[in-house]
Amino acid sequence: MKKGMIWHKSVVTLLILYLLIPLVGTFLFSVAVEWDSSILPESLTLQWYHELFQDPRFYDALNRTLFIIAMTVALSLAIMIPTIFLVVVYFPEWERFLQGLAMLPYGIPPIIGAVGLLKIYSSGNLSLVGTPWILIGAYFVIIMPFMYQGIRNSLRTVNAIELIQTAELLGATRRKAFIKVILPNILPGVIVSILLSFAMLFGEFTLANLLVGGRYETIQIYLYQKFEKSGHLTSAIVITYYLIILLLTWGVFKITHARNLSIFISQKLKGIGRIIASAILRRSYTVHVREGKR
Amino acid sequence: MTCVSIKEVSKSYQKQKVLDKISLSLKKGELATLLGQSGCGKSTLLRSVAGLTEIDEGSIYLEEKEITSLPPREREVGMVFQSYALFPNMNVFENVAFGLKMRKMDRVKERVSDMLELVGLTGKENAYPHELSGGQQQRVALARSLVMQPRVLLLDEPLSALDAKIRKNLQNEIKRIQKELNITAIFVTHDQEEAMTISDTIHIMQEGKIVQSGTPAEIYTTPQNPFVARFIGNYNVISMQDFYQLVGNHSLRGNEMAIRPEMIQICDGSDCDGEEVDEWIAGGTIAQVFMTGNVLRYEIDTSVAVIRVDELHAGNRVRIPGEEVRLRFPRSACLVY
Repeated sequence: MKKGMIWHKSVVTLLILYLLIPLVGTFLFSVAVEWDSSILPESLTLQWYHELFQDPRFYDALNRTLFIIAMTVALSLAIMIPTIFLVVVYFPEWERFLQGLAMLPYGIPPIIGAVGLLKIYSSGNLSLVGTPWILIGAYFVIIMPFMYQGIRNSLRTVNAIELIQTAELLGATRRKAFIKVILPNILPGVIVSILLSFAMLFGEFTLANLLVGGRYETIQIYLYQKFEKSGHLTSAIVITYYLIILLLTWGVFKITHARNLSIFISQKLKGIGRIIASAILRRSYTVHVREGKR
Repeated sequence: MTCVSIKEVSKSYQKQKVLDKISLSLKKGELATLLGQSGCGKSTLLRSVAGLTEIDEGSIYLEEKEITSLPPREREVGMVFQSYALFPNMNVFENVAFGLKMRKMDRVKERVSDMLELVGLTGKENAYPHELSGGQQQRVALARSLVMQPRVLLLDEPLSALDAKIRKNLQNEIKRIQKELNITAIFVTHDQEEAMTISDTIHIMQEGKIVQSGTPAEIYTTPQNPFVARFIGNYNVISMQDFYQLVGNHSLRGNEMAIRPEMIQICDGSDCDGEEVDEWIAGGTIAQVFMTGNVLRYEIDTSVAVIRVDELHAGNRVRIPGEEVRLRFPRSACLVY
């Protein structure tokens, strides 16, 4: 092996180790009975995962987080896609203004944003602090740069202006041209933006803690509270959290590499349908067994 | 019968005039080319006919119906873009059938099949745009426009993104299909050779105006001003003062003279001994030789100006740089402005 190659490989290996060691350590801690005075855990257990998956608070927190993220992303899509489309295709002179607006959240640290929101929405007619709605509003602003870039780049990549003009010349109304031509073609980019936003919001703690805290326990708040109880349990939460992110990343990877998105989506929908169907069957079976025991 | 009529059309962008009172008309079945350099307004004029660019003044008629203020979808014009603008989420069949479905027309399958056969893409119905070559994609774009039986077909530099060989093939294909369907078409290009090959009529544009219109032969042989002469035929355009100095004769009257490179003869030996009444002779040195295949292009330094001369490469000797030559300028080939 050439000398240069050894150097390159060493750097890459070191980087991978640097990134993986905390993750491996956390995983080992999440499956360790005790790990105080040895290099590796003395004995392994799935007790912490068992405890985590048995805790209804975990599912409630996860559901709340998923609800908030889904609402935020849906709201963002409903507002951002038509706005960016109209600006890019029909009002390009407004694009700089919109770009500046969308990039604004980068300039405001979450803690400062949160204090501002607390001041405005903690009292009066619009007392939203402690409700999921304030978090949805704040998250909408946070993911704006991701959504803006993703949607705008997709529109540019597919040459939306010429596509829409062609569709109109062929007899389509603007609405039909958008639905039939633009939307299917920007979908891969939009899905990537959704998944990126999803992954980012899943790990957001500052705003969640300051704006809703324990009054609307999300997965981040749940993690924070369990942190004081048991490090092993917290590690199990973190690993579960990473697994969910990993699944999301896998989704992004598959979608960006899917040549024919419509075929891909229909296949995935069938797959998701099968998973949901089997989950429903399993759940009804569990309920049936539980009721049988009673 | 007049199919397209453009009357006194003007358009400005931020006080800069892009189209300046342009008027032209096309007969049914005519293929007219808008030829000019980048930024001369040819694409803007085409987009104005399509309804994609709003004009400031003037009016546009299609078969005697005014379409100036109609939205693009109501104009019944077809347009082919340089970038093809195929719908990436649809296969060839779906792309071609899109307009028919939008307008709820019948016999969709039959019409699409006929059109794909016409453009030579039978068997490619299920292919997606990314699976096709550039030439094939442009054929799909052409079929998608033609299947709608537009009253006028607009082609905005449709071949610019293709390589030379495919480009030549498609030029012939477009011409064949246009004649076969007897469709009126406006073709935009900045390539004079392409314009010559494909057009029935050429309209040369400069700074938002049409500076000359005519058949390819008329435009090539009798350019009306030095700009057209330089642009269309690679003419040698020389100031009259320089020409007097070059040939030592003051019989021509005007500001500038132009002569096509293939009309100047290079002569040596006894060929150049005497000067006839209807010609002038000047001396020069070969500065550069360009071998273009069937034509040898010489750049000859005459101390007054560099003169381009084209010779048919028909087995004659290739001259070398530095060689002294004499040039024969036939009077009949000299255009005076």
